[in-house]
Amino acid sequence: MLETRVPEEAPLGSERGYRRYHILTRPAPERFPIPPRFRVRVKKHRLVALVFKELLEYRGNLKVALSRPCVYGVFGGPLGGLTPREHLCVGCLRCCVQYPEVVQIQPNPLRKRLGDSYLRPEYVDTLLYEARTGRVPVRGAGWRGAFGGEGWDSMWTDMSEIVRPTRDGIHGREFISTQVDLGEKPGFLRFDARGEPTGPLPRVVSLPLPFLFDAPPPTAPPPLLEVLSEAARRLGTLAILPLPVCLEWGLQGSWVVPVVSEADWGEMERMRWRPQLVELEGWHPGRYAELRRRLEGSVVAVRVPMHADLSAMVQAGVRVFHLCADYHGTSGGRFAAGLLRETHARLVQAGLREEVSLLGSGGVVMAEHVPKAILCGLDAVALDTALWVALQARFEGECRSRREARVEFPSLEPSWGVQRLLNLANSWRDQLLEVLGAMGLREVRRLRGELGRAMFQEELEHEAFADIEGYAG
Amino acid sequence: MPERSESVAKHIEALHRGFDLWPTLPFHPPALGDARWTEELILSTWVQAQTGRPPASGLEYRVGRSRGGFDCLEFSFLPEDRWLAEEAPIDTSIPLNRRSDGPQPRIEIPVPWYGAGMSFGSISEQVMLARAKAAQRWRTFTCTGEGGYPESLLPYKEHVITQVATGMFGVREETILWAPIVEFKYAQGAKPGLGGHLLGDKVTAAVARMRESLPWVSLFSPFPFHSVYSVEDHKKHLDWIRAIHPQALLSVKVSTPNDVDMVAVGSYYAGAHILHLDGGYGGTGAAPEIAKKNIAMPIELAIPKVHRFLEHEGIRDELVLMASGGIRTAYDLAKAIALGADGVVLGTAELVALGCTRCGNCERGRGCPFGLTTTDPELSLLVDPEWGAERIGKLYASFEFELREILRRLGLSSVRALRGRTDLLRYRRAEGGPDGTA
Repeated sequence: MLETRVPEEAPLGSERGYRRYHILTRPAPERFPIPPRFRVRVKKHRLVALVFKELLEYRGNLKVALSRPCVYGVFGGPLGGLTPREHLCVGCLRCCVQYPEVVQIQPNPLRKRLGDSYLRPEYVDTLLYEARTGRVPVRGAGWRGAFGGEGWDSMWTDMSEIVRPTRDGIHGREFISTQVDLGEKPGFLRFDARGEPTGPLPRVVSLPLPFLFDAPPPTAPPPLLEVLSEAARRLGTLAILPLPVCLEWGLQGSWVVPVVSEADWGEMERMRWRPQLVELEGWHPGRYAELRRRLEGSVVAVRVPMHADLSAMVQAGVRVFHLCADYHGTSGGRFAAGLLRETHARLVQAGLREEVSLLGSGGVVMAEHVPKAILCGLDAVALDTALWVALQARFEGECRSRREARVEFPSLEPSWGVQRLLNLANSWRDQLLEVLGAMGLREVRRLRGELGRAMFQEELEHEAFADIEGYAG
Repeated sequence: MPERSESVAKHIEALHRGFDLWPTLPFHPPALGDARWTEELILSTWVQAQTGRPPASGLEYRVGRSRGGFDCLEFSFLPEDRWLAEEAPIDTSIPLNRRSDGPQPRIEIPVPWYGAGMSFGSISEQVMLARAKAAQRWRTFTCTGEGGYPESLLPYKEHVITQVATGMFGVREETILWAPIVEFKYAQGAKPGLGGHLLGDKVTAAVARMRESLPWVSLFSPFPFHSVYSVEDHKKHLDWIRAIHPQALLSVKVSTPNDVDMVAVGSYYAGAHILHLDGGYGGTGAAPEIAKKNIAMPIELAIPKVHRFLEHEGIRDELVLMASGGIRTAYDLAKAIALGADGVVLGTAELVALGCTRCGNCERGRGCPFGLTTTDPELSLLVDPEWGAERIGKLYASFEFELREILRRLGLSSVRALRGRTDLLRYRRAEGGPDGTA
């Protein structure tokens, strides 16, 4: 049993007193071997010849002759370079700079099989590190990748240089809130003569993190469901699961968000718990009204494709949407960032943005995607493939849609799995704090749709290069 | 400094042999390089650091494969019959003080670049010395970074910029008085908005002494200056330096947020002589990965924005704009100037000249296995300051040669005439995969 307590944020002065939200991390090493990053190829006869040559050159001084260039211990085994310890190689290349005729370092081709074309091998590396340690990945040297790119890679987040309201980051002194609210947020409340609110109270759920766990593919093994549910409970966030799955495996609790589809409607009778949030799969006005009536107090969200037109649903009173893209972040042939910006802008124009909550999923696979998705208009994101990779799941081919995804889940030890997800959540939250701190924002709620704090490659390039011959925009 | 053992001497010899040999191998080392610093750029930088000229072997020495920015820009050279003659005089110098007010000296550097701030702790004292020696030989500058001012740099103090950053590590009155230029670092391109970070493993007793801290404890430079909430406060900072050292030029190093143009104007009115823009893809000894790619814009996009805004405000010729954060080659530096900078600041390129393979393990354990970004007493012996100065000097020579060639082919007799000449650039959209591969 893990000792991690359910984190809670209680208001200052409440009976429980004030506690800063905190996720307890602890090392959770990989349980299944991952291929080393590099292959170390040593020409053994040349190595032996080199040692003899150096023994002669250094007059039999073994210490000098056997002094090898690796500072990471790759050649530090009992047989030195004859049996290099590849798992220790960090690819510094010093050995092959010094002795190119003896040793070569090659990227391990097995690594290319990790992930898929969207959740790339380097992302897998990062996710595994985050899940293993719970820490923010820190490395030397600057950015090594492409200038910009597609999707989330085509935008940068802003920072405040000299004039800024907060001065935090993960090491700072001032508190940055990562709490978000999902639910009905009416423009005003009515009060009676005694000062008590009248009429039905708005249904809102507050989460200490702007991310939830989305439903895994139908092939997900029961321990994975258990891990998702338990990790969500401990983090104080929510795990979204299909209603039949919840019922079949006894996953119940306020932190479990059942997804109710038209086909599952009959199962509603068996539901014995009161979720904080429930999702209706697709838009069915009658079912929506009935769900609200049945689950009094629960927030009811409608789960629709990200490219769906929300206007009819908003008109009908829906105030929480789960906008779903595929696992590569596309919906209706377009990437999430553009779709979210448009949806957000439409709600702003309609004067309804403050009353509506947008939850989104699909394509959010790295820590930086969370603030970027929120900048584009989401209130919170639901995570999917990144969680499975953190649990050392492997994709077979492209992992694009929930129904067709072929994901090989390892046999899970639940407490290990839960700790991996807690670690991942802590790392992502810390990275979110870094981004918010850099912007000088005190709370993630203020990041939502704050496009002035986003920089888009297309726009910046146009501004910078429009007068340069050959730039076509 | 500790004495070299026979083992260290063996490794130095083997390393130097490897730096010479690698660019001549019939194959490119498969694990070397990335989209920004391709294997060919690294190897060609080694060739330049060895020979003082760009490689003649066909190695690519101008652009990388990042599919954007400098890698998509090229010069529209004149037809050959309109090039300047080879013997035509070409001026590559730039002034570092363009202000019409103040008693500060009119410092000029003969080449449009100087060395970036790299602190004692993030790099070794030997590397700092190598950079300072090269700066002195080329009559340009290097910068202490925020980690104190080792006294071994004093013979080169006319060519050393003192950096004052938010941790104030090693900042003393005398270190400010030693410096012809004092640089305020508000932000760093590799980690904009996040401050500095020196991991505990690198805080040796010597580093801790210099920074007046405790050994083996991680050090953070907070972000931002806790005494600055406004441009007025920023002016107060510069006034503070002016009060201590009225003759010093003042440089303000900032990153590249949305409002970087406004920051530039604010810095000018606060009294800065130099605005040092450090783009989002700049180098670092350690930074959160999330910061490197995602926060603040690349330098290629920030330079024109600032240049035009300063022009619009009528103060462009009063402020020197130095750009950094991904200047890898002579072509990058010329493109940065064509986009609107006066000059550039070199960091990673100098380390690559000294043998950096960009493996990114600067922060790990004992630090850089090549003796560059390390404070390990034995590893740091791998870089002899004289050898290092020679390598950096040769790289400078190659860059100067290439810059003259670029100017000659553009028909320009001064690098100052290149500034803001975007009409001399052409945009070529990248082809291939996401990392530039075919």
